[in-house]
Amino acid sequence: MSGAYAHEYNAETRRANRQRAKPGRSIILKIKRCDGPGKPSRWESFKVPVEPGSNVISCLKYIASHPVTTDGKRTTPVVWDSGCLEEVCGACTMVINGRVRQSCSCLIDEYAPDEGDTLTLEPMSKFPVIRDLWVDRERMFHALRRVKAWVPIDGTYNLGPGPKESPEHQQMRYALSECMTCGCCLEACPQYLQESDPEKWDTSFIGAAAINQVRLFNEHKTGKRLKADRLEALMGPGGITDCGNAQNCVKVCPKGIPLTESIAAVGRSTTVHAFTRFFKGR
Amino acid sequence: MNERQGFLDRHHFLLRRLHSLTGILPIGVFLIAHLTTNSSLAWGKYGLRAEGHGVPLVDGGVMYFNKEVAWINTQVPHLLLIEITLWASILFHSVLGVYYATTGRSNTARYPFQDNWRYTLQRISGYIGVAFIFYHVATLRWGWTFLVPGGTQWSHEFSASTLIAALQGSTGGWTPVGLAVSIAYFLGVSLLVFHFANGLWTAAITWGLTISQQAQRRWGVVCSAVGVGLMLAAWSALGAVFVGDYEAARAVEVRMLKDKYGEDHLNEVLEKQVPPHAAESQASVLSTD
Repeated sequence: MSGAYAHEYNAETRRANRQRAKPGRSIILKIKRCDGPGKPSRWESFKVPVEPGSNVISCLKYIASHPVTTDGKRTTPVVWDSGCLEEVCGACTMVINGRVRQSCSCLIDEYAPDEGDTLTLEPMSKFPVIRDLWVDRERMFHALRRVKAWVPIDGTYNLGPGPKESPEHQQMRYALSECMTCGCCLEACPQYLQESDPEKWDTSFIGAAAINQVRLFNEHKTGKRLKADRLEALMGPGGITDCGNAQNCVKVCPKGIPLTESIAAVGRSTTVHAFTRFFKGR
Repeated sequence: MNERQGFLDRHHFLLRRLHSLTGILPIGVFLIAHLTTNSSLAWGKYGLRAEGHGVPLVDGGVMYFNKEVAWINTQVPHLLLIEITLWASILFHSVLGVYYATTGRSNTARYPFQDNWRYTLQRISGYIGVAFIFYHVATLRWGWTFLVPGGTQWSHEFSASTLIAALQGSTGGWTPVGLAVSIAYFLGVSLLVFHFANGLWTAAITWGLTISQQAQRRWGVVCSAVGVGLMLAAWSALGAVFVGDYEAARAVEVRMLKDKYGEDHLNEVLEKQVPPHAAESQASVLSTD
């Protein structure tokens, strides 16, 4: 597989491609399609004219209005999920040229600068496909509930002024808070495998995104009231111990969140928590 | 946590952390001691100090190595307890490690990052390492001679010569099977050294010692240095065995036994000893009796 895609990883190459991209060209979009959950998947290719600044979403919109494959066969429009179109919601995440990223921020010029270049689109492999490029990321939201990724205030009474926080600490937490639950870190993780049975979500590997949220909320002055609960949830099967330190997560995170630092920090918290629990009791 | 969870699930965290710990203590510490001892086959002459003057390099290595093996077997206290702890730890680390490794799916093809390659190699080296350690212990320690080409069996008194015979394939020099065994040793020990060095690096993340990327990078330099050092120790030991000569090493060992315990003891040892090069001839002696 590696080497099959000439220029997907290197940011410099992508920048250079954008400079030299030929205007008025057409490219081939090769898409892995699937008609519904449990249905077999197939490949279909489409010829799409691109303009400067075209992204994957605008190409998919073109296909929706011209659902004809390169073989001249009329087919159904390709289905995909999207929301914000500015890389902050995570809904349009898919595997582009073999690597996971958001499709809205994926400029065609960077990936397919020449006439007839092919761009390959696949749905994320770690989540069940609903249709075509649209996947069900519910397990990610389940994971957030599993670790109580919230600040426990119910708004029924006045708590008074909030605790003071230093700007440095606020900056550190801000970086962690940028997670949009897109799933890139999980798609690239060799320890995170697709699990379509929700019964098993509580014991299968939770992944970097939720572990990072545990750090975020344990660092919150009010949120840390649930610290012990969150750490306990991460110390069971499928918790932080199942991380294999491949560190792909941090490299594919579109928000540049220091995920591996979060994993190490939460690892330290669980170490301390385990010793405290052993000698002091609950 | 509900009560119907199995033992593994209820003690998940403890088992995972014990798995991490046993890799360093005692297994990693033993690996350092073991490879350092073995490497003395290469530099032993200089460890002999005055005794090593005028002794050829190869003979010096044999002398020093043989002395160390004798020291371990006669002077180290609680040797049995140490061995039981070590073997139990290796068993625990291997069984759980293989089980944990099966929970992942390597994806270096799509994400060919250096860290990801090490993730994959850590698992491969674990699998091969388990097989190598089993072969290593079964042949050299338990004397499963049917696994040993040329019928060589390792002995404490003749530690260097029998090792040379085991790796070269016979007491008379290299054989094709010996070459295969030697390559297996080179790969096996190299992979295990990598496994330890890389495991030392990831353990620091697991336990939460290294948090920032800078700290992880720094610790990575330390672990690399440990890995390179152990790799050199392992390779120098193998190199000494590869260039060694069975008869010459045995002559040194016989002389040492005689010097230390006298002629009577030497004969006693030689009588008790299944001659490593004569497993077949001994079988024929027994059948003619």
